[in-house]
Amino acid sequence: MKTLLIIAIVLTGSLMASPNEHRDDNYRSSSYYENERGEYRDRDDRKGYSKVGVAPIRNAFYKIECGSCHFAYQPGLLPEKSWVKLMSNLENHFQTDASLEAEENKRILNYLVYNSAEKFRDYKISRKIDDSIRRDETPIAVSDTRYFKKEHRKLRRDMVEQKEVKSIANCMACHKTADKGSYEERYINIPNYGKYEND
Amino acid sequence: MKKLLISLTLLISIAEAYDFNPQMQKYMNDLKTEAKKANPEFKGFDYSRGEKIFTSKHVGKRGKLISCVTCHTSDFSKNGENISTGKVIDPLSPTTNADRFVKVKDVKKWLRRNFKDVYVREGSAQEKGDVVIYIVNKK
Ligand code: HEC
Ligand code: HEC
Ligand code: HEC
Repeated sequence: MKTLLIIAIVLTGSLMASPNEHRDDNYRSSSYYENERGEYRDRDDRKGYSKVGVAPIRNAFYKIECGSCHFAYQPGLLPEKSWVKLMSNLENHFQTDASLEAEENKRILNYLVYNSAEKFRDYKISRKIDDSIRRDETPIAVSDTRYFKKEHRKLRRDMVEQKEVKSIANCMACHKTADKGSYEERYINIPNYGKYEND
Repeated sequence: MKKLLISLTLLISIAEAYDFNPQMQKYMNDLKTEAKKANPEFKGFDYSRGEKIFTSKHVGKRGKLISCVTCHTSDFSKNGENISTGKVIDPLSPTTNADRFVKVKDVKKWLRRNFKDVYVREGSAQEKGDVVIYIVNKK
């Protein structure tokens, strides 16, 4: 009986998740490799993706539940193993309690895993994030990934710590189109510093 | 003294008078039953006890002194701000914000989370009832 129930829940979960959440089933396994200095490299950096950014969110339940305290991060910003780890401890989520009912947790985890970075390697950002994570590490913050750190290394402290931004996790403060999955340079506008010019 | 008593009784009757929808009313009744079970002296939810729960500061989950006011402010008709993330929080007052105290599921979820953030433990049935009565009746 109990098993039946669990099966039913899982089934409903995947049914609910499937209609409008497309997934590229032909995704390739990670092409990540490291050089002798421990730096990551893309095997085929330039021609490996056909779309910029990350896939936008199409799941209303996720957007409400994981968008109530902060911007709803796209599933394509972290690999499966990161989402699994993050979702296993929502009671202590970045020093706050973000706990969900077991059934809600399952539904969201299902969505995240189904749409995580390695499933969307045709998107540039998902691909690069996925490639930058080593086998022996499982970051649960996008801002802890090697790719993210590399891209933001030029930001000054005062740009991040000002009250209009507060935290580097506040993507929308600088990336005006982050909620559409678009992080391109031309849509960056750092509060009180203006348009970002790459020198 | 008499005046104070009258206004106190008035306050209590106002407090009990807020019109919850049926599922919320049932939730409040369940909390009441539970509170009575835990404390035979329990008479009913209390606005001023709720106020104290909401406004008093405690060393929270982040190791810093916070209260419910820290994120929700003490004017429930205005926006609050999540101090951990900077995100705006819609007003808490059900008069200003028609989405408040509508779904038991939401109320339960946020009381559970927010008590943990401020008190580093779950709230008791009495505490939850008290604080809800305070929020919905605060002018
Ligand atoms: C109760 C509030 C709350 C809820 C609900 C919540 N979070 Fe968070 N989350 C936070 C806080 C606080 C941080 C830390 C933000 C910071 O460092 O500025 C955070 C950070 C994160 C980060 C790391 C951001 C970065 O790259 O630095 C991720 C990823 C994340 N949350 C995912 C989720 C997911 C997925 C859900 C839904 C299951 C969720 N959050 C629900 C409060 C919440
Ligand atoms: C304080 C402002 C600021 C915040 C907050 C911020 N970024 Fe950025 N981000 C930048 C800037 C500036 C660049 C451009 C760096 C460059 O081109 O040299 C950038 C670059 C990027 C890029 C690379 C874009 C590309 O196409 O090369 C990605 C992806 C990105 N950010 C994602 C994020 C995410 C996700 C978050 C939130 C977790 C975030 N950023 C938060 C300022 C910010
Ligand atoms: C760290 C910030 C923070 C603190 C501290 C906090 N809350 Fe909240 N609270 C939130 C957020 C975020 C929401 C949900 C946002 C939304 O629905 O717009 C919320 C929602 C609520 C709700 C809404 C229920 C509904 O019907 O929508 C109630 C009730 C509530 N909080 C009570 C409390 C009480 C009582 C305390 C103190 C024990 C408290 N909060 C402390 C952030 C906080």
